Amino acid sequence: MLVMPSIVLLLLIHLFPLFKAFLDSLHTGSLIDSGEFVGFQNYIDNLTSPTFWKAARFTLVFTLVGVFGSWAVGLALALLLRTRIPGGGLIKVLLLLPWVVPIVVSSTAINWLVATSSSPIPVLFEKVGLGQPLFLADPTWAAIVVCVFKVWVSFPFMMMMSSAALSGVDQGVYEAARMDGATSMQQLRWVTLPMIARSTYISWILMTIFCVNDFPTIFLLTGGGPIDATNSLVVLAYRTVFQNQQVGPGVSIAFMMTVVLVVLSTVLYRQIRRAAH
Amino acid sequence: MTATHETGDLSHVVEVRGGKGRRSDKRGQWWRFLLILPIAAVALVPVGVVFLLAFTPSAASNTTGLTMENFSNVFANTDVLLWLQNSLLVTVGTVLVCVAVAAPAGYVLSRGRSRAVATYSLMLFVFQSLPVITAVIPLFLIFANIGLVDSLLGLTIVYVGSSMAVAIWMMAAYMDSIPISLEEAAWIDGASLFRGFWQVVLRNSLPGILSTAIFTFLVAWNDYLVAIVFLRSDVAFTLPLGLQSFFQQNTTDWGAVMAVAVIAMIPPVALFVFLNKYFSVGGIGGSLAGQ
Repeated sequence: MLVMPSIVLLLLIHLFPLFKAFLDSLHTGSLIDSGEFVGFQNYIDNLTSPTFWKAARFTLVFTLVGVFGSWAVGLALALLLRTRIPGGGLIKVLLLLPWVVPIVVSSTAINWLVATSSSPIPVLFEKVGLGQPLFLADPTWAAIVVCVFKVWVSFPFMMMMSSAALSGVDQGVYEAARMDGATSMQQLRWVTLPMIARSTYISWILMTIFCVNDFPTIFLLTGGGPIDATNSLVVLAYRTVFQNQQVGPGVSIAFMMTVVLVVLSTVLYRQIRRAAH
Repeated sequence: MTATHETGDLSHVVEVRGGKGRRSDKRGQWWRFLLILPIAAVALVPVGVVFLLAFTPSAASNTTGLTMENFSNVFANTDVLLWLQNSLLVTVGTVLVCVAVAAPAGYVLSRGRSRAVATYSLMLFVFQSLPVITAVIPLFLIFANIGLVDSLLGLTIVYVGSSMAVAIWMMAAYMDSIPISLEEAAWIDGASLFRGFWQVVLRNSLPGILSTAIFTFLVAWNDYLVAIVFLRSDVAFTLPLGLQSFFQQNTTDWGAVMAVAVIAMIPPVALFVFLNKYFSVGGIGGSLAGQ
């Protein structure tokens, strides 16, 4: 009885649209008219399209960099902030800001910083003799900027997760490790990391989901360009439906992602549970 | 009124510090401080840029130094107040509904050990992992038929749905820290299951509720994807869309853009600066793992 409202909402917002999405993915329709039934043609078209695979590849790269980049930075900061340091409280709050500030705001700042050749960062690069890269117009640079931006947005979340896990580690074990002559690197590798392994694993899984499903981080910086270099599957689905007005093909991309994520999340969820017991 | 027990401190944390090695501790502190300072500085550049430009006079203006004129310009020339009002309405609505729905559900997740609860928990995880875009496209088509496109109500419904799972985990995580013996005492005194939840658990869950509310606030306030799909006319825009609409013009007036950006980021930033100690996402790991 206590869970009913949440179940109703979840079915309404998630399950029902899922059925509708599947039906739409079997039709050629526009946003106004559902069009005619074409079976799995949209799926076949996507799976044989280089654009689709390019987007799949970028989604993978973006996710890997996003998850492990933000984890490394977040964990390092959590370790540094673990014991009292001067101004620690203020620094902690300030370090959360990248995650707290709307993406629209931070992407606006990044745009101002890098977008044109007269923006501050390209000018800085020029001054130190690194040439004048076109950060958002060059495919490789655009991909790098988008990935770094994602790490910047996400590291505070990983820092919070790591901090919570670290606070559960009993300080006594370090005492013991020190007596055995372990260096701080060894302590990190053989004491800290194993003790927060479960929570680390959970934070990786959550971040993977956040990265695969991310839209604004990419879309607001590059819109998926240049020449599809930063097109992720979500951005591709959005552009196909709302810019090209092709509902069927776009929804079928989203639906394929959904199937993969349902399978993946069920397996991962089981593993979290198993690791916990 | 039998169910009101003194709960005392549920979360007192005792920090044990050894007396030895205090001097090297102190040196370590400063070393860490010096290491973290440049990292924090670099991390804050984008936020700093927004603030700086918002208070910098535009090239056409003859004022020098810092100025408020970008703000008076956007208040006079754009719909920023309307966008702010829309953002506030949608966000407050989302937070209220989400907390009201997530609190009882979180209680079930925290206390229940049956098969049904396990299935429910799995369902939450799977739904949370779905791409929002999969739900948004069909919902757009459905909402178009029932007049919920371009409406703040439609937006609120989607936000509640998409922040629900994490909100429930956060509530459950906090309720895990409330000893079940408190409810048991109430039940022995004759309170019903619902009363035990309402009068014992919920009363002691204020920090958990705050934490959940802060999270949902961020989801609704910061969202861009759902808003850009569902909102069409600029009177219905929320702040992120309003901000973005500046870039559709040929020349970008950076002072005005950044002034709107500052307005858009003040509420979430203020929330974190003042209520930071109540916010914790760390616990969701535990409630996911069912411990």
